[in-house]
Amino acid sequence: MARLIKTEKEVEGRYSEQWVVVEEDALEQWPEGPLRTVGRPATRVDGLARARGEARYTQDIQLPGMLHAAVLRSPHARARVKQIDLTPASELAGVRGAVGPGELDVLTDEPNYEGEAVAAVVADTADHARAALEEISIEWEVLEPLLDVDQALARESFLSDPKLYERGDIERGFAEADVVVEAEYRTQSVLHNALETHQTICEWEGETVNVYTSTQWLWGVRDEVAAAFDLPKDKVRVICRFMGGGFGAKGSAGDYTMIAAELARRTGRPVHCRLDRREENVNSGNRNPTIQKLRLGARSDGILTALSADYVCLLGWDGWLPPTAGPVQMLYACDNVRTVEYGVRLNSPPMDAFRAPGFVEGTFGLECALDELAAKLDLDPLELRRRNHADHDPLDERPFSGKQLMECYRRAEPHWERRHEVHARADGPWKHGVGIATQLWYGGGGPPSYAWVRLAGDGTATVLTAMQDIGTGTRTAMAQIAAEELGLPVERVTVELGDTAHGPYAVVSGGSSTTPSMGPAVRAAAGDVARQIREIAAQRFDVEERVLSLAEGKVINADGGSWLLEEITGLLEDGQILGKGARGPNPAGMRVMTYGIQVAEVAVDVETGEVVVERIYAVHDIGRVINPLGAESQIEGGIIQAIGHSLSEQRLLDPRSGKVLTRTLDAYKLPTIADVPEIVSELVDVPDAHLTNLGSKGLGEPPIVPTAAAIANAIRDATGADVRSLPITREEMLGALHEADERRRVPERVGAAPA
Amino acid sequence: MELLRPDSAEAAAAALGNGSVALAGGTELVPLLRDGIVRAEKLVELRDVVPRGVDGTRIGAGTTLAELEVDPDIPQALREACSLAASPQLRSMSTLGGNLLQATRCWYWRLNFPCYLHGGDTCHAKAGQHREHAIFGNERCASAHPSDPAAALLALGARLRTTSREFSLVDLYRLPTDEERNVTALEPGEVILELDVPRPEASVYLKAMERRKWSFAIVGVAAARFADSIRLGLAGVAPIPWALSSVADLEQATPLLGTAYKVQIARALVRRAVEAVSAPAGA
Repeated sequence: MARLIKTEKEVEGRYSEQWVVVEEDALEQWPEGPLRTVGRPATRVDGLARARGEARYTQDIQLPGMLHAAVLRSPHARARVKQIDLTPASELAGVRGAVGPGELDVLTDEPNYEGEAVAAVVADTADHARAALEEISIEWEVLEPLLDVDQALARESFLSDPKLYERGDIERGFAEADVVVEAEYRTQSVLHNALETHQTICEWEGETVNVYTSTQWLWGVRDEVAAAFDLPKDKVRVICRFMGGGFGAKGSAGDYTMIAAELARRTGRPVHCRLDRREENVNSGNRNPTIQKLRLGARSDGILTALSADYVCLLGWDGWLPPTAGPVQMLYACDNVRTVEYGVRLNSPPMDAFRAPGFVEGTFGLECALDELAAKLDLDPLELRRRNHADHDPLDERPFSGKQLMECYRRAEPHWERRHEVHARADGPWKHGVGIATQLWYGGGGPPSYAWVRLAGDGTATVLTAMQDIGTGTRTAMAQIAAEELGLPVERVTVELGDTAHGPYAVVSGGSSTTPSMGPAVRAAAGDVARQIREIAAQRFDVEERVLSLAEGKVINADGGSWLLEEITGLLEDGQILGKGARGPNPAGMRVMTYGIQVAEVAVDVETGEVVVERIYAVHDIGRVINPLGAESQIEGGIIQAIGHSLSEQRLLDPRSGKVLTRTLDAYKLPTIADVPEIVSELVDVPDAHLTNLGSKGLGEPPIVPTAAAIANAIRDATGADVRSLPITREEMLGALHEADERRRVPERVGAAPA
Repeated sequence: MELLRPDSAEAAAAALGNGSVALAGGTELVPLLRDGIVRAEKLVELRDVVPRGVDGTRIGAGTTLAELEVDPDIPQALREACSLAASPQLRSMSTLGGNLLQATRCWYWRLNFPCYLHGGDTCHAKAGQHREHAIFGNERCASAHPSDPAAALLALGARLRTTSREFSLVDLYRLPTDEERNVTALEPGEVILELDVPRPEASVYLKAMERRKWSFAIVGVAAARFADSIRLGLAGVAPIPWALSSVADLEQATPLLGTAYKVQIARALVRRAVEAVSAPAGA
């Protein structure tokens, strides 16, 4: 019988309570270690289709009679539309319609950041639509934008109330400290720049709207569009079978979806609304900049006595306060902690989630400060981290569910030991160093998430679930899980996903939650099918059900005999065996997190400020690993993105107009393959015994979290310079080297705060 | 837009002006057209009429950077400047002549701010974001010239032959003035045909970038030694390619607050470049 219980659900550190129906006969976890399919490297099931260009992304879809929309976006960071006339645009040849402020919620006549949508036109071609934008007659009253952070703080321009967290007695903590370090860290705004830009095609069929969109959450888009157009939820069908990346910025419907839906409704034709690369770099979300003031106190043996942190997060006009203080609150055991987070509202484009939002920024400050503390204590940085290991969740004393961080430290040790030989590589102006940084992040996933499995007469299985694969390889992981449970080779399993009309409800692909949410549901559905096969086989061959198991495409009797799966399923001819599965609850009273440590090796040219990352070793604990090959590729992707974030990427705003200056890929500098170091990755791969029928957590975000701090700490190791601001440009690097020189020259005048 | 394909360089030159713009590799022109910075009714295709290839010291202006970066017969500085420019895809399209005439990467100019270079009266970069900008010649406009090959050719003392005259590369460039904002001195209807590049005893090009490939120079330094004299050409430091006679000239730099770091990089690269081309002791 099903039982109704309440469980805790978390996405990127935001917790909520969730009713969930629990099956009584939940599956036991598989034994630890590689199984027949799960835990073994699998190439992507859709790899060939993607490589051959057969995979159809939203960008590739051409519907009969499809029109193209273009959006008039505010060229000003703050302005008022005094007068607007769409007629000259509407009257152009090839133009089929136009929509302006007041006609659609996402269009405004009082934009508060550059790029905010004001109007849109739809035409036979994208070129016609863009040309028509030029013809819209518009008169602006340009207003003074709020862009300066000091001014914003003085005016208390906040998106939400400042968030205070305290435990213990911070003053007493610092009084007990033998050593105190204090420093300010800054992180920049970076842009997602997914290969596929944000875009949607909408097509109405009677009262139903089909939404083809590049999204991280089909069901979230469904709900938003249904609300905006006052439709029953299931009158909105959302489709995304292949996706060219999101990195957090495609979690909601976006103005382009609403514009496409409205213009499709008005014209009675399918409408494609697609951001170009320039719009993508202005108006599709960003990682918000931070200013972090940290103060750490420790006893002479390295035990932390106090952690204090103030975070100013420059969110832009809209968004939410990401959990920037999370690492300071949760990474280390420390009795006395105080954090304050300010979410500053400015006339700049709104932030959006970006791969481990908050924790990437917060880990940079904390892990750099920790190394500065280690230097002052004259203590090995890895040993300092071990001594402050949190054995239970410092927030509320809950036990951690599956924590292998000490094992990560043990495995990192030989890579950290390489620093002696790395230092010896110094040559002329090139100095070499090694740095470490620890990572924690969420990634446990949660309900509700469902999957169905159907087994056909020919012994092939299809997994049906309306989840999305945002490019991370979840399609392959789900095929492996179903194959494992059914005792089938992975080639005999097809995964159908990406369509709300074809399969049950699934989780957002964000917060590293896809595999830990969907995997257990897929396994449960496959388990339901497996149980039915055993029941059928037991009746057909007159054996006891408990002696039967599934492997290698066969039903195996404990006495050694076996039957091909087709012998059982074939009985039903075109009949199918149907299974359903749901994600169970999270372990009650426990904190589910992911952990890891990275070791960076860098070379610095101290005369020109050039920084070269030569090697990154990464070891992470995400519970059971489903596909080691896919996992390795996630780690590499995260580290490469982190290298851009550490060294070269920065969205620049003009300080007076608030306009984005870096909107093309020559100005906004993503790393190239030449910037990618040797990456050596490892996973602990011990199932989290408390977490679901899989024991798996997500890996989308953990690898990007510690890299920047590891690089900065390696730079300190190489040069003695403290880089405290991202990105570590030549300017930043040379400035930090200069400061370090000054400090050496006048040691009593400059330096960290007195203890 | 109309594409004209003249059958001689003279015919191409005659077709220019009045809304007709020259098209060679297109790697610079096409983005400028798309962004509305250059407006053209007709494009005049130069591909078939401008010389291409290397003949002794003469290099056709239509030669691509990809061809030059692998040519063993041209001076090392030019070869290196070509190979460190842009990406392989861009280098296989872009021509040497077009590269010399490319516009600044200044983001204000590229976004069509009404800046000094666009005919306005202020340089937006000076009071704004300018970490990629100039340390020399920046009194009115702080833009930085992006061409790596131009810096190398400046150090090499290259001369140009156009459809109407021959002159030194130095004279191709001028700082913008209140009267004339264009930084190149090509006459209307004049097309660069060929360069004459003297052979130095030694030459080198060093480039500091924000990432390891496909990035315009923060500072690019070319050095070329002819007998006992070493000539230097710099990219990314002034609104035009900038000549220096020695490292001491860097004392004359007038960096902005955010470009002071470039002086330090230039100092290191100039010292290294000079060292690299200097005759070994006793030779």
